Amino acid sequence: MEFSELIRTGRAQAQLLRGPEAPPLRGTLCVTGHHLLLSPGPQSTPDLWLLLLRSVDSIEKRVAGDSGTITLRCKDLRVLQLEIEGVEATLDIARSIEALSSLESVITSFPFFYRPKGLRLGDSWHFLPPERYYKRVARETDAWRLSEVNEDFGLCPSYPRAVIVPRAVDDDVLARSARFRQGGRFPVLSYSHAPSGTVLLRSSQPLTGPQKRRCAEDEELLRAVLAGARPGARGFILDTRSAQAAKQARMTGGGTEAKAAYPGWKRLHRPLERGRPLQESFVRLVEACGDPEQSMDRWLSRLEGCRWLAHVKEALSTACLAAQAMEREGACILVHGAEGTDSTLLVTSLAQLILDPMSRTIAGFQELIEREWIQAGHPFQLRCAHSAFSQARPKHEAPTFLLFLDCVWQLGRQFPLSLEFGEGLLLALFEHAYASPFGTFLCNSEKERCLCEVRTRTHSLWSGLNQPKEQRKLRNPLYVLNPLAIWPSVEPQSLRLWQGLFLRWTHPPEPAEVAWEKVWQIVTGREETEGSQPTASA
Amino acid sequence: MASSSTSKYNSHSLENESIKRTSRDGVTRDLSEAIPRLPGETLITDKEVIYICPFNGPIKGRVYITNYRLYLRSLEMDSALILDVPLGVISRIEKMGGATSRGENSYGLDITCKDMRNLRFALKQEGHSRRDMFEILTRYAFPLAHSLPLFAFLNEEKFNVDGWTVYNPVEEYRRQGLPNHHWRITFINKCYELCDTYPALLVVPYRASDDDLRRVATFRSRNRIPVLSWIHPENKTVIVRCSQPLVGMSGKRNKDDEKYLDIIRETNRQISKLTIYDARPSVNAVANKATGGGYESDDVYHNAELFFLDIHNIHVMRESLKKVKDIVYPNVEESHWLSSLESTHWLEHIKLVLTGAIQVADKVSSGKSSVLVHCSDGWDRTAQLTSLAMLMLDSFYRSIEGFEILVQKEWISFGHKFSSRIGHGDKNHTDADRSPIFLQFIDCVWQMSKQFPTAFEFNERFLIIILDHLYSCRFGTFLFNCESARERQQVTERTVSLWSLINSNKEKFKNPFYTKEINRVLYPVASMRHLELWVNYYIRWNPRIKQQQPNPVEQRYMELLALRDEYIKRLEELQLANSTKLSEPPTSPSSPSQMMPHVQTHF
Repeated sequence: MEFSELIRTGRAQAQLLRGPEAPPLRGTLCVTGHHLLLSPGPQSTPDLWLLLLRSVDSIEKRVAGDSGTITLRCKDLRVLQLEIEGVEATLDIARSIEALSSLESVITSFPFFYRPKGLRLGDSWHFLPPERYYKRVARETDAWRLSEVNEDFGLCPSYPRAVIVPRAVDDDVLARSARFRQGGRFPVLSYSHAPSGTVLLRSSQPLTGPQKRRCAEDEELLRAVLAGARPGARGFILDTRSAQAAKQARMTGGGTEAKAAYPGWKRLHRPLERGRPLQESFVRLVEACGDPEQSMDRWLSRLEGCRWLAHVKEALSTACLAAQAMEREGACILVHGAEGTDSTLLVTSLAQLILDPMSRTIAGFQELIEREWIQAGHPFQLRCAHSAFSQARPKHEAPTFLLFLDCVWQLGRQFPLSLEFGEGLLLALFEHAYASPFGTFLCNSEKERCLCEVRTRTHSLWSGLNQPKEQRKLRNPLYVLNPLAIWPSVEPQSLRLWQGLFLRWTHPPEPAEVAWEKVWQIVTGREETEGSQPTASA
Repeated sequence: MASSSTSKYNSHSLENESIKRTSRDGVTRDLSEAIPRLPGETLITDKEVIYICPFNGPIKGRVYITNYRLYLRSLEMDSALILDVPLGVISRIEKMGGATSRGENSYGLDITCKDMRNLRFALKQEGHSRRDMFEILTRYAFPLAHSLPLFAFLNEEKFNVDGWTVYNPVEEYRRQGLPNHHWRITFINKCYELCDTYPALLVVPYRASDDDLRRVATFRSRNRIPVLSWIHPENKTVIVRCSQPLVGMSGKRNKDDEKYLDIIRETNRQISKLTIYDARPSVNAVANKATGGGYESDDVYHNAELFFLDIHNIHVMRESLKKVKDIVYPNVEESHWLSSLESTHWLEHIKLVLTGAIQVADKVSSGKSSVLVHCSDGWDRTAQLTSLAMLMLDSFYRSIEGFEILVQKEWISFGHKFSSRIGHGDKNHTDADRSPIFLQFIDCVWQMSKQFPTAFEFNERFLIIILDHLYSCRFGTFLFNCESARERQQVTERTVSLWSLINSNKEKFKNPFYTKEINRVLYPVASMRHLELWVNYYIRWNPRIKQQQPNPVEQRYMELLALRDEYIKRLEELQLANSTKLSEPPTSPSSPSQMMPHVQTHF
């Protein structure tokens, strides 16, 4: 196997330092094709310490005397230190880790080798979000149909095989509209809000270009959307770029919908930061959180300077705007930015969490992520190639998905009873999006996943998470179904730094898991008494 | 298109303010029914005014002023706003505008409150319409300036528990295992002749005679000698509190004081040094020498080690809180919230107080060293440090009654000058003696309860009701500066205790996630990264910032309580059905009603 060429040394004696809380671990260090493992030696506990090499974000080596230190900064923001005996061994191990952690090939990545006990390949892959979601939509309205126009990914490489479109338009119209949209991402249904009879759509920017081109079929498609919605419904096109940026996009062939071409639709601009500025904000925040020298009286202004919370605020308020326009004003919404694969998905998925109680259940949330992020073509492979520690110049990295998780966390904090899942699930999603033994977040689109046969050759994260033993970590013990929309407060005073993620590895006062476990005990204890009380009293 | 900043807000009901939809019955009710009244409360006047709500704009309403509260009900049909403000909360009443000033609603009264808000009322610009309202408010909000009694002395409320019995010093010291071989209870201050700001009952080293104590008293500011606050149940280390030594510029010494501190050290054999925490910044401690005070220097107190904790004085804290108010009321700072918050330094002060208390607790618990705490007079920062350290060390104080005892003991009985710091019934709003020291302590407790969500029996509402009645003057609990003054005024006989109100309805104040742990020491993280502004207190008047759902803990707890009640009811029904088959079965099986309906919320 080709990994062996990259492994410079088999093993070395080492000590692992895992931060202030955990005791150091001593033993034999081994590098394998996908893992770094430390076996503590025969006399102590047989537990192996295992690190997926893919989760190493940056590596730093230092040698002094006849030993060396390797600092591993992981994508989940953990910082680990290895003290290794022997200079040669240190350098060899460092080089091996460097080489193995940055392998780009998908099909040789660990998910293709991971075969956990108790899980069968193919489990949980069966759910096909667009199809499943369509069943739900079809029960509420017949204005929509499931189109397999993208069966061979010919129309739009970043869309799934099936998409939900207005019943009134046929596949030819879709094909023409696709040609008028960047990357072929023609407007498709994201969410149907039955109570108000309105819908949420997403797409990419129209390719109007400097000549302000139009496309009759694209216009027809949006006209059909309004016709299929509640009578008299208006539409808003929510552009996640500034008006200025949208205009500028014309020079490179993009642009925005001309007012006259889309009667009934009004354009709104809500600029959301994306790409590099977002990545830099993330890097600065992680730097600030991990800075041991940080003079503490400047912490708040430094936190503000990172702008991360400002991004959270913008994302949430834009999602609120979309949700509000649907629920309160009975309007249909089309969201797009440029490519329609980043901030667009952020807005549509958050708007659904606000409006749709189903998406706040564990199953519904998993489906939402599968449908609105994975199948919708958020390029996870590119965006999550590196986390906040990488020294490499960011190319396509951006923590859009993390920003989404943070916004969900804020929702959960403001509505502690309304989400069926807890912080544990959000943390797990963050970890797995960046490095995972499961195949769920692999590749950039459904097309790529099909080419790599991800479905048949890797395990789904959802089957991993939905095992009974994981439930206690992921579920919110306080959950009660809240049928209403949850409108978060987006004032800066209401938003908090997600300590559970950003300060997770820097001594929290009481590890969140401990408190979580206590709450579980109380709640389950209560349920037991609840269950027994009526019979006892009878 | 509605946007997040222009929608109308509905604030959900709080203790003192609520906006609710009303039924449009249009029936004018009897006046006596129209406003809530406590036994002993009398209506003085009522008047039509315009309440200038900073969040919803001007609202026409009728204001009722009693000898206890200002109560306003809007006269508008669609939304009924209610303001219910105890007059004790008022710190300043100003007239705004003149009889000739122009502009709508420019003539009226502006009322500054001690609880982070202002109330503005506009009146008609004719016939000096505001004069009597101004005079009546001034009279009853500042009764002491008008030779009137505080409302607490008129309050005739009755509760089924007597809060005055919560704290019994002898019992509390017995709980701590005192007296023992090394510590005795002394009645030397029975009539407050040793120290008029100390309680009657003190715990002092067994080996120090009453004469020793008297001599030590001459060397401590305001005779506040070192006395025991808390003793560690296992290693017998102690927290001792006092005021600064009267060293002065000339560096005076007092052999008795030196010996006394050594006796304290010797009560615990494990260590060679007594640790002294001077709460002040060292420069302030040095500066205090100029006015006769000072600190214990190493070359005189050989067996003691002194550390300064850098906590600033009452004036700095007052100014800091003022700045907090500036950025949260009426408008919250939007664009640079975090840096504005930073510039108030409020959280930094919180951090220093907590850090100091952690050091005290750690020294006593892990360092196995006895600790002496003082600041200048030993009634502000000292009280903060000893009480917070005790809260960290002793889980008993984390229960509802335990906390009441802690406040009663370390704050009330040891002479935190509540009357001067709060200015009960006093009109002098610029008094330099006022300072939010107790609020800061409660804030620290809240920070701890955030970091240890299962360690405290009480919830946030408990802390807020304590703060509300810190100002309200409805109860005698926080009145006056010290025990001797309270005794002279017969406070326990003539007023009701706040703990009566709380303990007769304890369920409301309980944290359902409380898990009792006996010997756990809590060390909160006092890093700025883990501290946050107590939004639910400081910004509670702003409907936009409010947590959309009621506190989850509270909501869940209400549900659990309702569930329990339901079971009890069902049990009773079944018992009834079993025992008396003859009588009719109960008419309707109780349907589980939705206890806390989810409120449609707005952002």
